[in-house]
Amino acid sequence: MGFFSDLAREDYDRTYSDWELVRRLATYFRRHGRKLAVTLLATLIVAGAAASSPVLVSWGVGLLQEDPQTSLLHLIALALLGVGAVVWMANWARRRAITRVIGDVILDLRKEAFSATASHDMSFYDEHASGKVVSRITSDTQEFAQVTILLAEITAQMVQVIILIVVLFQIDVRLTLLVLAMLPFLILASLGFRRWARSVIRRAMRAVANVNASIKEAVTGITVAKNFRQEEAIYREFDSVNRQSYSVNIRRGFVLALVFPTLNALMYVGTAIVIFVGGLSAAQGAIAVGAWYLFLRSLDRFWFPVLGLSSFWSQIQGGLSAAERVFALIDAESAVVQTASLQVPKLSGEIRFADIAFRYRPDEPVLEAFNLTIEPGEDLALVGHTGAGKSSIVKLVTRFYEFQGGQILVDGLDIRSLDLRDYRRQIGLVPQNPFLFSGTVLENIRYARPEATEAEIGDLAHRIGSGDWMEALPEGLQSEVGERGRLLSMGQRQLVSLMRVLIQRPAIFVLDEATASVDPFTESQIQQALQLILADTTSILIAHRLSTVRASDRIIVLRNGSIIEEGDHDRLLASGGHYAELYNTYFRHQTPDYRPTLEPEDEDLGFVEVRVPLKTDIPPSNNSP
Amino acid sequence: MTVAEFLLPQAKQRSRLSVNRWILAHTLDHLWIVLITLVGAFGNAALATAVPLFLGQAFELVIDGQDVAQGLARIAILIVVTQVVRSVLQLGRNFGADLLGQRLERDIREELYLSLLGKSMTFHNLQPVGDTMARATNDVREIGLMYNPGFNLVIGSANFMLLPLIVAPSIYPTLIVIPVLFTLSYAVAVWAYLRELRPVAEEARKSFGTMNAHLSEAIDGIEVVKGHAQEDQEVERFTSNAASYRAAFVRQGDIEARFLPLLLLGLAEAGAFLQSVILFQQGILELGDVVAFMGLIQLFGFPTFVSLFAYSQVSLGMAGARRILDLINQRTELDRNPEGHAAPIRGEIEFRGVSFSYGEGSRALKELSFRLRPGQTMAIVGQTGSGKTSLAKLINRIYEVGDGQVLVDGVDVREWDMASLRAQISIIEQDLFLFSRSVADNIAFGKRGATQEEIERAAIEAQAHEFISNFAHGYETVVGERGVTLSGGQRQRIALARAFLTDPRILILDDSTSSIDSATEDEIQRAIFRAAEGRTTVIITHRLSQIRWADLILVLRRGQIAALGTHEELIEASPAYQQIFSQVGD
Repeated sequence: MGFFSDLAREDYDRTYSDWELVRRLATYFRRHGRKLAVTLLATLIVAGAAASSPVLVSWGVGLLQEDPQTSLLHLIALALLGVGAVVWMANWARRRAITRVIGDVILDLRKEAFSATASHDMSFYDEHASGKVVSRITSDTQEFAQVTILLAEITAQMVQVIILIVVLFQIDVRLTLLVLAMLPFLILASLGFRRWARSVIRRAMRAVANVNASIKEAVTGITVAKNFRQEEAIYREFDSVNRQSYSVNIRRGFVLALVFPTLNALMYVGTAIVIFVGGLSAAQGAIAVGAWYLFLRSLDRFWFPVLGLSSFWSQIQGGLSAAERVFALIDAESAVVQTASLQVPKLSGEIRFADIAFRYRPDEPVLEAFNLTIEPGEDLALVGHTGAGKSSIVKLVTRFYEFQGGQILVDGLDIRSLDLRDYRRQIGLVPQNPFLFSGTVLENIRYARPEATEAEIGDLAHRIGSGDWMEALPEGLQSEVGERGRLLSMGQRQLVSLMRVLIQRPAIFVLDEATASVDPFTESQIQQALQLILADTTSILIAHRLSTVRASDRIIVLRNGSIIEEGDHDRLLASGGHYAELYNTYFRHQTPDYRPTLEPEDEDLGFVEVRVPLKTDIPPSNNSP
Repeated sequence: MTVAEFLLPQAKQRSRLSVNRWILAHTLDHLWIVLITLVGAFGNAALATAVPLFLGQAFELVIDGQDVAQGLARIAILIVVTQVVRSVLQLGRNFGADLLGQRLERDIREELYLSLLGKSMTFHNLQPVGDTMARATNDVREIGLMYNPGFNLVIGSANFMLLPLIVAPSIYPTLIVIPVLFTLSYAVAVWAYLRELRPVAEEARKSFGTMNAHLSEAIDGIEVVKGHAQEDQEVERFTSNAASYRAAFVRQGDIEARFLPLLLLGLAEAGAFLQSVILFQQGILELGDVVAFMGLIQLFGFPTFVSLFAYSQVSLGMAGARRILDLINQRTELDRNPEGHAAPIRGEIEFRGVSFSYGEGSRALKELSFRLRPGQTMAIVGQTGSGKTSLAKLINRIYEVGDGQVLVDGVDVREWDMASLRAQISIIEQDLFLFSRSVADNIAFGKRGATQEEIERAAIEAQAHEFISNFAHGYETVVGERGVTLSGGQRQRIALARAFLTDPRILILDDSTSSIDSATEDEIQRAIFRAAEGRTTVIITHRLSQIRWADLILVLRRGQIAALGTHEELIEASPAYQQIFSQVGD
């Protein structure tokens, strides 16, 4: 497990046994058999060659003592040259092969993770922050890859160590055991450091996060600070967090700076022992001088892989849990299940809810025995307080969520039996937050119909406010909208999002009207675009604007998942029921003649200008959004 | 250089002419740490060199066979002692470098922060927050990493290159040949390696960024993707991004696979062995010398492996430093004019032929003239980008006019003492920003030391008292990024409470991002209405009722006045104005 893996847990996470994980990962590697074989072979060559270099040098040193003039010595020098070249070439082949294997495996994992994610239903996205999903697809796959590279590195070093141990045992068992006896001390020391480092690193990261938050606050709130001339005050605060972060971080720095010197000192105590004990044996003739030298030269090559190994296990675990997170994302089950995938004919747009039961959570029913029929071509406005069930109705029509009882019929066809993509192509959806993709306005408009011509789109654009809105854009339809449409105003984004639906010519139009206020000029163009869509489609509108409710054929007033009133605006208002209350809360202040009530007790003051006479005993709204 | 809206008197001045000088000046502020680091680096390498020399002695001893045990014990103890001392020096190098990195991070962060506070709003509006944040966080961190592990390893390994060059000839003069050849070819190989690697590594980083950005966009917009049945196209797009990352990843791997210094190390070892064998056969070297020399060559292993990343770390750090210095060095036009006009404001605002532009390029405002009498309310209406916000920000000189004059009480704002002017003008922004602290502190932001009573009175006026009292900790509730999240309407009322507390003579209110379906709309409107009473008010609004009841309405269209007058005048004269009022009527 990584340091912080427990923080990133999601409810779709599941635990796979290590065996299961490894077997599943193996399927990704299987088709790279040849490259893996190259990697393995090259790894063995690197390890063998690297281990042979100290053996050769020691042999040479031995020869120098015993038989200094032998030409074998020149051959050894040549062999060393060969070893250097072989190590380098084998290492080259190994890196090339493993890089390609890993590049491909990540690519496959990412592709699969994203396709799986794209097919999850909307309830999945409600519950899981998009940033976390993204990091599983990009970062966790990357982390897994890094561990794989590490695994290859460590394997090479371990093979090298094993070869050396075998050679050393053959030379002198007692001295080899002495060398091995030192290992536990080093491992203990390095484990101790890891634990200590973990806690200081965590504290340091938190301190840095604080400083960054403080800077971010200053940068975003700079206008406020300047307006009130409070620069010095926020500077003082920053200064203290900055200093605090410094003092926490130098503690971290000290612990980390201590690691290598300590391990080094320990290592050289070991070297000193081998010099002393081995030197005595050599002097007594128990081992050859060359063999003694080999022991000394092998020490370095010994310690480092072993030290690496002590952190190796936790990294492998980190890599496996990264893989586990990716698989959990791939395997998350979809709640929306289709019973068939019938081709959808051109729809006329009749929608019938028959005894629908729907809930987000088992204990919180939203709709129960809900019945509603929308005629082809009808424009239906849904109004009600937050939580009344307006957006649930829309989400069911778009089949973003699964319902628990009843049937939804579109042109008499069971919505569960349709090919979903086919069906959704005939639905024009404008979500409350008009989302644009980076690219040009034109690209966004033709998002759902890439084959739409520029002329067709230009024509359409001119039918809205005589194309005025395009002139406000720096380069007309070719203007870049920026990431998530950031370069356009809220009103312009709404317009583009409506045009995207217009060009799609859907049979059913679904609008969750934006609640942001928009300048009155753009607003009137949005209303024109809306009129164009309403004219040709069956529409379901979650209405927040007075003009939209007025434009609808029928208003459905919802409360706690039930229809309590229906009719047109004037009739409903005159009847003085729940709609009149909603009107007072949400719509009244949109009229030009509205003035706020100046004293809370003068309730009737604000009603003076209201067009339709209202009863003054309407209870004030006690709902808040 | 010292022109700024905010300065600390004790702030230190450093050379900012070039990034090298700037980093050097910062480094020299901590001279004694630099010395410790350098001494540590040299001492560490020197004592590391001692090991092969001791080893050589041990060999001589064993071959001579005189007093072996005693001699070996002496050498073993010497090795332990020198290596313990070496550890202390190594710690000095490691910790010194880290300390330098941390200090520079701290100091540069502070310098940047101060410079950001000193810059004008023109600057801050043009500079994206994300970009500034990236520099203040990632780039500052890169500078820290440039010292440790960057400089730490570069300097440490340079000493490991240096010492064999010094020590080898002391064994025998010609033994310097192999170390010299290695050092030279190493320098060339590393240089070539970095030159080849840099653009490819950059490309890999970029393509990862692109992949990530597109992916998070697709997932954020998943409702639209699904609503338009475009899942397959998105998967295809992602796959192609992921594939180009894979290509860059492989290219980078290939360059790293060819890392030449590794080959050079092997060649040096073979060469060193050959040379010492020949010298030994000629009777020039003893066996102990051969052992010592081979040990010296092994020291080159450290610089070889370190160069895989240490140099890149340094160049990343310098690039980060360059970006930060660029930001600090951007000029800022306004100054505080502390000797200027200071007086209580009555509240008259006049624009005379005012033009304004953001830097070079297209003009945001053209030839605006109007006059607002004390106590009047003016509504500004126009499309996004028509210049409404810029107009408002000229009044308290957050922006500086290009041509013409903005006068407050008949005095050009440039003649005013900025502190006096801003203290009496309140702007309530469209991005209502609250600091992560208590509600009470946020309300009292403009008037430090306000009593609880004053704060509550202001909150009551702003219709905020009720919802604040409903919080578990009342006025002590922490809000903002690290506290309770407030709705737009609630934040707006807290900002209004701020204004009630400071009682400005001129109130500028940007009401254009309010949402239309707030259930507390009546309270918000009441607060705004109250706030406008008794002071000159400029309100940027989309609400028809606020426009309708204003004393003066200014319709802006692409930076120019399209219409100016009262509701009655405009409904007669302006077709555009008529159109916006027709949409709601029958």
